[in-house]
Amino acid sequence: MASTVSENVKKEQDEKSWVDYIQKDLPQHLDWWPYTLGALPLTLFGLLVGTGLLLTFYYVPSPERAYESVDQITNEIYLGWFVRGLHKTSVDLMILFLFFHVIRVFITRAYRTPGELKWVSGSIVLFVTLAMGFTGYSLIFDNVSYWGMTVVTNMIGTLPVIGTPLLHLLRGGEEVSGVTLLRLYDLHTKLLPVLLGGLVLGHVVIVRLLGFAEVKGSRGFHSFYPEHTLKMGAIAAGLLLLIVNIVMIFPPLLGPAANVQEVASDVSPPWYFSAPFMWITLLPGPLALWSLLGFAGLFVVYPFLDRVLDERGWPMEIVNALVAAAVVSAMAGLMYLDTLM
Amino acid sequence: MAVVHDDIGRRRFLSQAVMGFGMLFGIGTLSFRFLQFLLPTEARRESETVLIGAESRIPLGEAVPMDLGGRKILVLRTEEGVAAFSRRCTDLGCLVSWNKERSQFICPCHQGTFDRTGLNIAGPPPRPLDRLQIVKRGEQLYVNIQAT
Repeated sequence: MASTVSENVKKEQDEKSWVDYIQKDLPQHLDWWPYTLGALPLTLFGLLVGTGLLLTFYYVPSPERAYESVDQITNEIYLGWFVRGLHKTSVDLMILFLFFHVIRVFITRAYRTPGELKWVSGSIVLFVTLAMGFTGYSLIFDNVSYWGMTVVTNMIGTLPVIGTPLLHLLRGGEEVSGVTLLRLYDLHTKLLPVLLGGLVLGHVVIVRLLGFAEVKGSRGFHSFYPEHTLKMGAIAAGLLLLIVNIVMIFPPLLGPAANVQEVASDVSPPWYFSAPFMWITLLPGPLALWSLLGFAGLFVVYPFLDRVLDERGWPMEIVNALVAAAVVSAMAGLMYLDTLM
Repeated sequence: MAVVHDDIGRRRFLSQAVMGFGMLFGIGTLSFRFLQFLLPTEARRESETVLIGAESRIPLGEAVPMDLGGRKILVLRTEEGVAAFSRRCTDLGCLVSWNKERSQFICPCHQGTFDRTGLNIAGPPPRPLDRLQIVKRGEQLYVNIQAT
């Protein structure tokens, strides 16, 4: 009799469903909207991989054909404009929601011990996503692409010691050329997506392993499956609906082809680079670049800075709220200045 | 005898260390070669003097853009004479254009501004425009392209 019971238990263990491996009760606050912001970029990443794969079937990474092929995708190929629109809108929204997610984590100080690694891994995800944005809009090979490539590779070239080799590695020569476009294409469609996929997976695993931050007033728990999964599914479906609507109302546009003999009057980058673009316009070259690098470094190590200041008795909740407000208004101000120029 | 045991331990350590370093050296050399594969060999550029035309063909107060084998320059003629500047903005490498009304070189990327002598006077550029030497032989102008 006893042996039958243990056999049954063993049988049950063997018949563990796949859900059991990821099943874990989640704190109540993950049901609140601001705490679902991390799942949105994840959904969009999936959409970007899908539409990106479709685009590679028509895009040609050569300086002579690149712009022409994007034009073909946008204006000739059946549903080409829609696929490109989905890709473009998803990038914009992915970066927007990443920013929102960062702001939420920052204001709630969710990176506190033992969560530092969650923040650090997430910040690398953000930087790689921005690199995907840059390499992506470079491929269009319009004026913004060409002069963007020139300026960004030059910025990398001003780094001490590694700058010049890295510049030559990215450009595949002294100047921006067809080799540069091919290298950015390789980065955008092969190296960076694989890296980003791994980093995103790592970030999610780290968050699950280190646990969710404790939030005041969040006492109850709910299960990952089906409650949380269902909620995320509903959000993903709503997001898809939103994206389709945005693409229908604002189909993707295409600026004039790159003119390598003359800089066009407006070479402002997409909105997510608008603030740093104005920053390097307003400040003298080296100062602007070093302050941007310093800001990025400070951003990555912020949890450790928070810990040090917290130990000295700083009111970090208020400090963070002020810092977030200052950074967001500075970025908004710089973006506004960019629209004026 | 403890010494014998030590000796065996040391032998094993030494052989592993030698193999380890050998492997690192091999992988390092290979990676270095692959990096060289990705880094282009730099084409050696010779110094040369290129004919750009007669001085009278450049209108006074105008700057004529030219592309000399990938080197983009502006040849400016003022009352003081003719001067040639590299169009590469010293900030982040966009191309400057000549603005006749303001009598300045302007870079549209980040609003870098240079005066008629190539001096950086406003915006982010950290140094003046690169200047190329002009040689006059009779009526004809030649510009001296330096080896880079």
